[in-house]
Amino acid sequence: MKLLAFCFGLFAVVRAHDEEFREHLHLRHLDDGRVSALFSFTTLLKDTAPRSPLSIGEDDIPQHYTLFPLALGQVLREHAVTEVHLTLNAGKWDYTRWGYPEDPAVATGAELWAWMGESPSISIDERWKGLRNSLAGLFCASLGSLDEMRTTSPMYSFRPEGSLPLFNQTHKLRHALLPSEHVCTENLTPFVKLLPCKTSTGIASLLNPHRLFDADWHGMGVHVKWDPKTGISVQLNFQTVLDPVRHSSRGQRVDFSLKTLFDREIPKACPVAADSVIDVFMAEGEYNIVAPGPSIMEGELAKFIVPELPMPLDIAVRWPGEASNLFMNVLQYSNHAPASKQNSHPTNIEVLRTLTGATQSYGKLHVEVKNNLDSDVDVIYVETMPWLVQFYIHTLKLSVDGKERQDLLKHFSYKPSEAHGRPMLFEGVLTVPAKSTVRLTLDVLKSFLRYTEHQPDAQRGWDLPPAVFIPITNNNSSEGRILRRLYTPAVLVDLATPDFSMPYNVIIMSSTLIALIFGSVFNLLTRKFVALPVEGPSESEPSTGTK
Amino acid sequence: MAYAIPAAIAGRFLLSFTSIYDSLKYDHLLTSPLTSYPRLQEGVFLYKHGIDPYSGGGFYHSPLLLSLFSTVLPQYSPIPQLLWASCDIISAYSLAQIWRLRSKDETGRRDGRIAGSYLLNPYLFLPSLALSTSSLENALFLTAIVFACRGKTVPSLFTLALLSHLSLPSVLFLPPFVMLLHVSPTSALASATKESTLRLGSSIKSFFIFAICMSFASVCNLITTGGWDWVYRTWGTGLLLPDLSPNTGLWWYFFTEMFDHFRPYFLMVFSVHLLIYVAPVCMKFKHDPLFAIFILQGLLAIFKPYPTLSDPGLFLSMISVFPEIFPYLRHPIVTALLHLHASLLLPLFHSLWLAQGTGNANFFYASTLVFGMANGAAVTDCMWAGLRVAFGQKDGVEYVQE
Repeated sequence: MKLLAFCFGLFAVVRAHDEEFREHLHLRHLDDGRVSALFSFTTLLKDTAPRSPLSIGEDDIPQHYTLFPLALGQVLREHAVTEVHLTLNAGKWDYTRWGYPEDPAVATGAELWAWMGESPSISIDERWKGLRNSLAGLFCASLGSLDEMRTTSPMYSFRPEGSLPLFNQTHKLRHALLPSEHVCTENLTPFVKLLPCKTSTGIASLLNPHRLFDADWHGMGVHVKWDPKTGISVQLNFQTVLDPVRHSSRGQRVDFSLKTLFDREIPKACPVAADSVIDVFMAEGEYNIVAPGPSIMEGELAKFIVPELPMPLDIAVRWPGEASNLFMNVLQYSNHAPASKQNSHPTNIEVLRTLTGATQSYGKLHVEVKNNLDSDVDVIYVETMPWLVQFYIHTLKLSVDGKERQDLLKHFSYKPSEAHGRPMLFEGVLTVPAKSTVRLTLDVLKSFLRYTEHQPDAQRGWDLPPAVFIPITNNNSSEGRILRRLYTPAVLVDLATPDFSMPYNVIIMSSTLIALIFGSVFNLLTRKFVALPVEGPSESEPSTGTK
Repeated sequence: MAYAIPAAIAGRFLLSFTSIYDSLKYDHLLTSPLTSYPRLQEGVFLYKHGIDPYSGGGFYHSPLLLSLFSTVLPQYSPIPQLLWASCDIISAYSLAQIWRLRSKDETGRRDGRIAGSYLLNPYLFLPSLALSTSSLENALFLTAIVFACRGKTVPSLFTLALLSHLSLPSVLFLPPFVMLLHVSPTSALASATKESTLRLGSSIKSFFIFAICMSFASVCNLITTGGWDWVYRTWGTGLLLPDLSPNTGLWWYFFTEMFDHFRPYFLMVFSVHLLIYVAPVCMKFKHDPLFAIFILQGLLAIFKPYPTLSDPGLFLSMISVFPEIFPYLRHPIVTALLHLHASLLLPLFHSLWLAQGTGNANFFYASTLVFGMANGAAVTDCMWAGLRVAFGQKDGVEYVQE
């Protein structure tokens, strides 16, 4: 009772500061036996608005927060950012096996996009530079590389998820992708520091780096947005796909518990959390949830309210029917489950992108968009490409079942790349007919780089950013279809490399040839012709006759 | 022989209907970024879709070509192929005309051989099959010479202005063209002391006409594109070398390997280097400006920023107009062997580096050096022979330079 009273006391303090912290863990059993876990920590700063960019240059109001991460708040206010989304992911999210992720931002590598209002004193591009450098410092990530060579301003995609305040100035979007950036434990440490309970109590205590970075897929995200009704919210997400079979201590089983997944239990609830819930979503099949029982059962969703449960807390899920044929079942889960479910597709839209071509001078981009729904879907196809690869838009061909269908691309906006500079941005609205696959092909030209522009591991090639597909939902046909944005995996492109050891040799040899021709030409042009009498062969032959 | 040229022309047109273009269109030897047809198509596509093709991307063609292909000429195969074939025929015809005007030979006995040297030159017809716009440039260049030989100032200088818009280094041909307009195109190599009929007043007038033609084309470009971005994208590309695609020239690998802090300096050196040759060559061959144009063309083919095979190819074909120098060539065999060597090495090493992946960039770079050597040998040999002609053959006397 005393503890409860203490908690209530704290809540009262929290409410007084108009801040609210909620933590949430969503566990989902996937078709292939893996478990997707989404840790979500939301801090709400109530009844506040983002800093107006018009006030940049003036002294900012003092910042005092109890729960809201100060380090992040300072960055947001310094650059007057209204909305920002940062994700750092490692691996390829397999939509065909795992379905839609809970947090849709699953681009391989780093993705950063921000909405900022225009300011008369400091330009958006300068603040964007400041923002990415600040976030790079805050999260120990190479976000500084998200420079002008990676930054685009999409027109139709990446609309704000929250609201944009009216500052009497227009808001602009900056978006950048860096597929070669990988999330690792040095990014998690600063991430955890932004949480009020760190990893000592509450759901965050399950954030065990040994398990999270060992997962088949893992990524972290920071989403800051503003809602005029509630205020500024900061959502810190950690999403991961774990394989319980690999960590199973009792033979090869798909059973899992918090202990087997994370090698941790929740020692006690986070006292400042207004809400602390663990959801376990079980799609189908015979399973038991072993001790403790869920607080609330909503259909296939079992809800556990952490403060109400005995500590330390561990939640275990078992498949009792599996006991007889353990290993075979695992195989069946890993390999045969998707095949047996061919009729039910995990996602409504499926996308595939490949780059073909054997030479290092040009290639062909193939994109396939498959619609599993019974109605046509309009999809925004967003392609941001560094100048390393140049598109020949005039070669863009669309076909369905081998028949050319150029009409499927309704309209597009295109901003060409600039050599050694900004990237290309292509946004096209593509109609995908019901139950069919649209194939898109495009010739691409691979660029030739200066020797100083190559990466240290030049022969490895370059990671090209993922393409993004955003289905357009029209409100008229609300038939409960889930349409969320999809990312294709990153593509590796092999660019021609010069010889890195030869700059001096090339300068010397080219200069020699030029000097030789220059010298010969001016030799001929400047010297006078003279006539020399040639000695007759009869006189010279005797002297050289022995040769 | 009588049927050879009609057969070559017919064959050239027949090739337009094959799909050979598709396998050559991205070839670095035949097309440079400034002359590549797919890039032109991309620019026309963007222009038709309301996107400024000069706002970025790899489009470096002149707005003249942009307006030509976006309005008059359809791009459907085989229309461009037929246009390129026609350009080849025009070039070959112009080359034969130049010979007639130079030799005062109206019988046309050597016409077949002259036209054949253009139509059957692999350095020329392969870029043409790849629809490299350098074939159009060659046609403009030879047409401008024909006009100049006939003393038609405005058509000649207007054609040269168009050529300069397509390829900026061609502006260096202006001084010898002005000289050619005022001097007979007949061979004066053997009588080097012939008095020049060039007058200052008329020369200045010619320069002025050229400036008007250039401005006129620029204003057309301004109206087409609605801005001056094309200047940076077309002429600026030749000076700043943003695209480092391999070609047969000397610039691309030099600036791939160049240290960043020396890049602007060496770009300046390479550009200024092109200017150096104009005055001395014009002064030395002031009695025969057509020969000066020929020598300058050879030098530009070696040293220009984005050459294709058709630049040195044009020089080699133009040799046929100057048969009087043949007896005085010092090392034609060496030059021919160097060219044979380079023409085998270039495609081979290009493929080894970029397609097979078994060779590296140095292989191809080395073969461009051999090719540069071959072109240098050809130009210096022709230059020597052009100077040596003046002294004729005399028994017991050998002419050397002191």
